[in-house]
Amino acid sequence: MENVDALMHGFGIAVTVPHLALMVVGVLLGILVGVLPGLGAPNGVSLLLPLTFGMQPVSAIILLSSMYWGALFGGSVTSILFNIPGEPSSVATTFDGYPMARDGRPTTALATAFGSAAFGALVGVVLITFLAAWVAKAALAFGPPEFFAVYFLAFASFVGMGGYPPIKTLVSLSIGFAIAAIGIDTVSGAVRLTMGVDELVKGVNFIVAVMGLFGIGELLIATEESFQLKSVSSRVDWREVVRTIATLPRHGVAMLRSAAIGCWMGITPGGPTAASFMSYAIAKRLSRRSQAFGRGEPEGIVAPETADHAAGTSALLPMLSLGIPGSATAAVMMGGLMIWGLNPGPMLFIEQKDFVWGLIASMYVGNIVAVVLVLATVPVFAALMRVPFYLIAPLILIICTVGAYSVSNSYLDVLLMLGFGVVGYLFKKLSYPLAPLVLATVIGDKAEDAFRQSMLMSKGSLGIFVSNGLVGSLMAAGLILLLLPLLLQLRRLRAPKPSFDQEPSP
Amino acid sequence: MISRRVLEIATAVLTGTFGATVAISSLDNGIGWSTAGVEAGAFPFLVGLIILLGSLYNLVRSRLDPPQVSITRADMRALLALFLPAAAFVAAIPLLGMYVATAAYMLGVLAVRPAVSRLKALVYAGVTPLLLYLVFEWAFQVSLPHGVLGEILGF
Repeated sequence: MENVDALMHGFGIAVTVPHLALMVVGVLLGILVGVLPGLGAPNGVSLLLPLTFGMQPVSAIILLSSMYWGALFGGSVTSILFNIPGEPSSVATTFDGYPMARDGRPTTALATAFGSAAFGALVGVVLITFLAAWVAKAALAFGPPEFFAVYFLAFASFVGMGGYPPIKTLVSLSIGFAIAAIGIDTVSGAVRLTMGVDELVKGVNFIVAVMGLFGIGELLIATEESFQLKSVSSRVDWREVVRTIATLPRHGVAMLRSAAIGCWMGITPGGPTAASFMSYAIAKRLSRRSQAFGRGEPEGIVAPETADHAAGTSALLPMLSLGIPGSATAAVMMGGLMIWGLNPGPMLFIEQKDFVWGLIASMYVGNIVAVVLVLATVPVFAALMRVPFYLIAPLILIICTVGAYSVSNSYLDVLLMLGFGVVGYLFKKLSYPLAPLVLATVIGDKAEDAFRQSMLMSKGSLGIFVSNGLVGSLMAAGLILLLLPLLLQLRRLRAPKPSFDQEPSP
Repeated sequence: MISRRVLEIATAVLTGTFGATVAISSLDNGIGWSTAGVEAGAFPFLVGLIILLGSLYNLVRSRLDPPQVSITRADMRALLALFLPAAAFVAAIPLLGMYVATAAYMLGVLAVRPAVSRLKALVYAGVTPLLLYLVFEWAFQVSLPHGVLGEILGF
């Protein structure tokens, strides 16, 4: 077993005292940004990014990915204890997690969430262990047309499966592409879209966009949510934790199904948020106790949590093996990879074996560290939620400002960040998705290059995208996903209106 | 009070203007085919066009939204209470530098809170820039702007 050998080698790299310490720091920082409203995994990771430039890439990625795991767990803590989702992907956890905690079983709710989350993450990592190297090997034979087809499929799946209004997704995605195009064109060297501002020649860094869209945008959204914390007891009873986790196998079917949904949504970039909602909806429909959903049903916690973490973890698979991040946070990490001088994509598995397998091994260890730490620190972070918003908000704003500035010591970036903040607020408010925008900002250039190289190969004929079976089927799958919302709408128009459409909106 | 419909229209106009600007400005780079392949403006032009068309769709679509209130007066007040001081803080950075601007900003937003005592506000306003200095300038050697004020004082 080649993969198992490589993984064992990876454990040798990941399980060292400095790296374990980085995991602990990363997870704790992750829980912190996960718990705090207005700070989430994407901008938490972006904030930390400039501080990793001097580190070894493998140490840096262990720190950042651990932060990601921490944030995924931290988001669930506030969902369950305060009914406030710390992360967009833990919104579905509030549906049953909070009612269960309110009914006097906070430990059960937390343990159910973390247990199933750990299971979801485990499935995701196992998938990466056995599939990533194989996908990368297959992708070594890819030329520009194949790469463009894979990019196309990734973008199309946002439109078709992201769960947001398709045209709004398309607009958000295209804005990301336009932002990626600002500055010097990598192919011709021409200066594009600077609108006469000289400083824009260097382009707009994705970190600045993330700080504004997620950081400032979420902060502005948070002003509208009344922070009347109806918190429940945050004391953790360890015996209850063990008892709850022992009963988890009872939900085995739901866990496996949710993990499958999560992995699928993570690899084809639908993202953890869409995965958790989809998994919750399916669990509710298939459950025999669907009436109990929304009132503290364990399966209502198991389904979104398993899918959320499976998606978050498996989002790193396409990032490592194809250079296509499966979520906004993975996109930020991939941006980091490029800054550290690594080239995400199939060559990574050949040139940077230590990095890849060190990271994969650290994902096993990091998730265990995360479960233990999150359980141990629940009371501490729950207390943090009682710090008033008027104090937290300016602090987060200052952190984002300094973060945006320190990317390239540019005041223009701070102004851009503020602008992105307003856009982020409007987009959140009107359910435009933000993840496609970030994804397109990070890999827009690569997708464009792949397209232009393909065009050069074919001397301008689009026929190159159907020239062989692989490219043809990838493009066809992409087109189907792109047109899926349209097809569904046509079918709905023909079919008689289902009854739930007629419910009065709340 | 702002309705959902107005918000949708404003956003669609914003994205549409951006799309149109991108498309028009790409024309300068050439959007056709040259000996070096697809010209530099072609891809952004297409993207700009998609943004413009999508925004038009969203604009038309917004007519279907019920005119329900999306941002109430109280929401608006809370929003501006966060955003305006933040914008003032950002605007003050070139002049005052990051540290002094941070201190002034913290002092400003905390002093107006009746729940926060003067002393507490002063402590926060002092500690925040100090922490920034320790983390950035001292620990990670990232220099933050010292502003015109810093230049005058030779800091």
